[in-house]
Amino acid sequence: MEEFHPHNDEMIFNADEAHNIVKECIESVLGKADYNHNKVNQWTAAIVEQSLTHLVKLGKTYKYIVTCAVMQRSGAGLHTASSCFWDTTTDGTCTVRWENRTMNCIVNVFAVAIIL
Amino acid sequence: MGELGPDDGAGNTYSLRPGLQRRFKSSTVKECIHAILKEKLANVQYIPEEMPQLTKSLSEIIKDRLKEEGFDRYKMVVQVVIGEQRGEGVNMAARCFWDADTDSYAHDVFMNDSLFCVVAAFGCFYY
Repeated sequence: MEEFHPHNDEMIFNADEAHNIVKECIESVLGKADYNHNKVNQWTAAIVEQSLTHLVKLGKTYKYIVTCAVMQRSGAGLHTASSCFWDTTTDGTCTVRWENRTMNCIVNVFAVAIIL
Repeated sequence: MGELGPDDGAGNTYSLRPGLQRRFKSSTVKECIHAILKEKLANVQYIPEEMPQLTKSLSEIIKDRLKEEGFDRYKMVVQVVIGEQRGEGVNMAARCFWDADTDSYAHDVFMNDSLFCVVAAFGCFYY
């Protein structure tokens, strides 16, 4: 039987890898779209669901939390912060900011290791 | 029959589920968040320079408050979003890949005439 090494590099959460995955998902969903009140619900759902699917497919032993906020651009400010109580040696986070002419999008990924 | 040591009846046991009292309860968490937001933001106006500090301190306060709540063996993530209230459209979504039996989340929204604040707290059980 193969031995299981949860801490080798391939099994650990890689923020850069996650960043690329999320960025591609945002681009495929929002692309060149303009802010549309009737569609934004669908968009945010699609972004988090696609990102999550791709992350899970990496096959790492992690639980994932993905959040996404899309805001219409109107000159109004938006701030986000997060605070985590977890094991910094295994768990990780990644934030992606994206914007076009009419909207801002912020996606946060939190990866929580299952195996200690 | 060979004795291998004192028999305590159960041997080694590992609990893979949180006790009922120690579970991450959405309703309790939501109440906590609601109380903190009400206290900290009631008369706050949106001042751009002060917001980075405010969002950070809010997330810290809420995380520390949840730690006091004594959820056993839970890792917690608290996310705070504060935006200026100018009639712009905002939409937020979250999806989680986790153990729905043990893990949970709570969120609360606070608004006054100058800003809005959304807090989402997630609890992940570790085995």
